Amino acid sequence: MKKICYILTLFFFTTVLVKAQGTDILVAQCAASAGENVTYLKDFVVELEAATAGEKPPQAKFSMVLSKNTMYRFTICTAPDSEGEAIIQLYDMNTLLGSSFIMATGKSYPGFNFKCQKTGVYHVFISIKDGKPGRAVGILSFVEKL
Amino acid sequence: MSAIMYKKIPYILLVILFAFSCKSGQESGGEFGEVPDSVLSEGLLEINEDVMQDIVQNISSPVEMAALLKSLGVPFSSEYLAPTDKVDNLTTSFKQAFNLGVYGADLGYLNMYNKTNAVLDYIQAIKVLSDAIRVGQFFDFNTLKRLATNNTNLDSLMYISVHSFNQMDKYLRSNKRSNLSTLILTGVWIEGLYLATQVAKEEDNADLKERIGEQKLILEKLIIVLENFSRDTNFANLVADFKDLQETFEPVEISYVKGEPEAIEEDGMLIIVQNEKSVVDISDDTLTEIIDKTEELRNKLISAI
Repeated sequence: MKKICYILTLFFFTTVLVKAQGTDILVAQCAASAGENVTYLKDFVVELEAATAGEKPPQAKFSMVLSKNTMYRFTICTAPDSEGEAIIQLYDMNTLLGSSFIMATGKSYPGFNFKCQKTGVYHVFISIKDGKPGRAVGILSFVEKL
Repeated sequence: MSAIMYKKIPYILLVILFAFSCKSGQESGGEFGEVPDSVLSEGLLEINEDVMQDIVQNISSPVEMAALLKSLGVPFSSEYLAPTDKVDNLTTSFKQAFNLGVYGADLGYLNMYNKTNAVLDYIQAIKVLSDAIRVGQFFDFNTLKRLATNNTNLDSLMYISVHSFNQMDKYLRSNKRSNLSTLILTGVWIEGLYLATQVAKEEDNADLKERIGEQKLILEKLIIVLENFSRDTNFANLVADFKDLQETFEPVEISYVKGEPEAIEEDGMLIIVQNEKSVVDISDDTLTEIIDKTEELRNKLISAI
């Protein structure tokens, strides 16, 4: 019995540690994939469960201040073990400003640039397409002063 | 093994996990040692932690103001930086966290201008303070020191610096120590404003003037967050100081021109153009008052040892 508990505990800690390291690597890779000549500002790490029938797909929300006359880049990276593709969206209050997935065309982008013209609080939402479970990292980078 | 024993495994595991977590805290001493009650924010909050995080998670970045100054072609000046020689005299978690933010903003400024020689002093000061409030495990001192000493891979230096601060912030928030993460944020913000206002003293630049004026909005949010902890005398005093500063921002007027966002694609990159614009109206007299008050407040806060 003792052995079983020891092995299970060890397994639990190893899993947590490996997952944490995996997340750090994913953040670093995603920040690097944001492109050259951009400066990493913030990361948004999410782990979302599968949507339950009849419910809205789970999504993670992050709030931040963005500044006027600044070009920012939002990049999204889906973890390899995720079942679905992650989407990053930017909102100003309740208005959708931009999304890495354009529903009208069905086209996905690795992210988007945002030409900010108004200083204020904005909200980033990250979700997984079709409500599938998965992990993802969103990156906010500074591109240039406009 | 009996079925009853199998049923007990989850409970036994929970007990073991609890025992392990307690033990690891005791064993690791310095970095993961017990956090004094004085630095825990649980029970102090006026509003729910989640609601507070929803107000804003990233009020100011240690590099954004520096990036603006550099993009304006403003030369680097070491005179703007906070001195690091008295870092060992910062003995309370309140002062340690606040100054950690101040040095974080200075580190962002130094990194942005590639001043790697001076970076070492700030990395060292940040290491001391982050260890003092038990978040030193997120600050990769050795890698940063190596990158700064070799003067190579400046992108990595910037990434690790900013990422370390983000990790500290996340850890503090998730461990009910958001009072300290708020102080770090406050230090970053006031130092960023100080850098901008010091430059504005010398340079008459419309963009910079506008950026300073729009800090009225950020200050408003920051005060809401700080007030949340004002049962603590140190926070109450800080709120009073920031409200004095807020008075100087009162004449700044911010208006909005409505517009719909547009999405365009250039070279495969999706670009969102925000057509709603904010317009900041700030007089020279108001700017001068803000510059003076910011200087007075920032110098008071960093010298309050």
